[in-house]
Amino acid sequence: MSDSEKPYLHFPKWANKVPVIVATVGGLLTVYVIVLLGYGANARTLNVGYAPVQPVPFSHELHAGLLGINCEYCHTDVKRAGYAALPPTQTCMNCHAEIAPKSKKLAWIHKSYATGLPVPWIKVNDEPDYVYFNHAAHVNAGISCLTCHGHINEMTRVYQAKPLNMAWCLACHRDPAPHLRPRNEVTNLQWTPNNKARLAHDLNLTVATLPKNLGQYLMKRYKIPSTKLLTDCETCHR
Amino acid sequence: MVNRVLIIGSLILAALIPLAVIALRRNEHSPTPRFHIMLGMDKMAYRKPQRPSKFFADGRAMRPHIAGTLARQDFIYNNEAQMRLTPNNWKLDHVVLNTRHKYERVLLGQVLGGGQGRFITHIPIPVTKALVHRGQQQFDIFCMPCHGANGRGNGLVNQWVHKLRQAGSPDAGTWVRPTDLTSPAVTFLPDGGIYSIIVNGVAGMPAYKDQIAVVDRWAIVAYVRALGLSGKAVSAARLPVKVRASLAAGKKH
Repeated sequence: MSDSEKPYLHFPKWANKVPVIVATVGGLLTVYVIVLLGYGANARTLNVGYAPVQPVPFSHELHAGLLGINCEYCHTDVKRAGYAALPPTQTCMNCHAEIAPKSKKLAWIHKSYATGLPVPWIKVNDEPDYVYFNHAAHVNAGISCLTCHGHINEMTRVYQAKPLNMAWCLACHRDPAPHLRPRNEVTNLQWTPNNKARLAHDLNLTVATLPKNLGQYLMKRYKIPSTKLLTDCETCHR
Repeated sequence: MVNRVLIIGSLILAALIPLAVIALRRNEHSPTPRFHIMLGMDKMAYRKPQRPSKFFADGRAMRPHIAGTLARQDFIYNNEAQMRLTPNNWKLDHVVLNTRHKYERVLLGQVLGGGQGRFITHIPIPVTKALVHRGQQQFDIFCMPCHGANGRGNGLVNQWVHKLRQAGSPDAGTWVRPTDLTSPAVTFLPDGGIYSIIVNGVAGMPAYKDQIAVVDRWAIVAYVRALGLSGKAVSAARLPVKVRASLAAGKKH
């Protein structure tokens, strides 16, 4: 057997295509995985839309929307406490001692009122425990409920409306001006800056003296801290 | 060749399925908790307000008020410093509750003594334009739902219950139409009397002492007085001297 007859390994002809195929399929797969993760694992997909079934089917659409009850009627502490408290059962009983007193939907309210134990509401908008969030600081700076909670007055069952992830928080902390409004309109979910007469009344100005740039004006008036401070680690993680 | 097209086509379709599921998930409301990729330190052992805790028998992290005791802030509640800490950085100047008399007037709206309290006739804190505005704001939060924006007793809640009653629903319950705040039943009450109703409630109206701060209660009293005058001719003799003078000079108000 001569050397020329030894069984050399011959690449078949299709082997020429292998690098091309590997590069194409590998490239496509990489792009696909990146798209899949970016789309599927982002905060907007994971966080928004969480709507737990509550022990009492309380409808914000009815109470805050149709009946026009101000947020602060129940959430009385939003402007003075860091923690926006859920109302005590007494607040429900303010009206429901007389309205719909025997409704089965209120079973938990009656139980809580009789025993003194709280209704086990399920928290919807829940920040991680290493985040320091102060409600009063935001509300008193002219940040509306709407900014973080969405149109609560249209929700039959409350759902998380915003991603509430760090990038989302920072977007506003880097440039708060467009999100500001007069302090006494924060709970007004239908507020619009276009109602000049109302705006002038809110700011104790006249229509003629209204600032051209409302956001920048409120930044100064409410002494909103600098972006440097607002984006400092210690501001939210303390 | 056809086979290859079929395989690649079905692969592409299969690749679209996860994307479609994600798109669906983004646009629906789900009762299941959010999906945690990394739990990390999202949930820590420390207790937050109004959260459950297994440590206490009743399952609450926050401890309820113990009968016969005072919370720490109760000791300082009545002093000036605390009065300043009312919502929205509201400042109440020149009111120092350093005597029992002032304390009774501002916090109870009464003058006690002789075993019987008498309602005070005038708001015991300075009534300014700002206080009336504050009153309007607080009125719109706590009173407007039932008494209506104009105080005539036909708020949206009243209208709602009226509809329920007309529809024969048992949910209308024992509701009675709220009092017209511009009627003599209210306008003839002393200021302390209106204050007392806010604090303790009356008939079908619940007590609001836990929901409304002291200053805000008086602010509401001031606003209710303004409502009582609204839409009615007021004798010029009741106007402040300055206003009378400028009216006489032909200025509009």
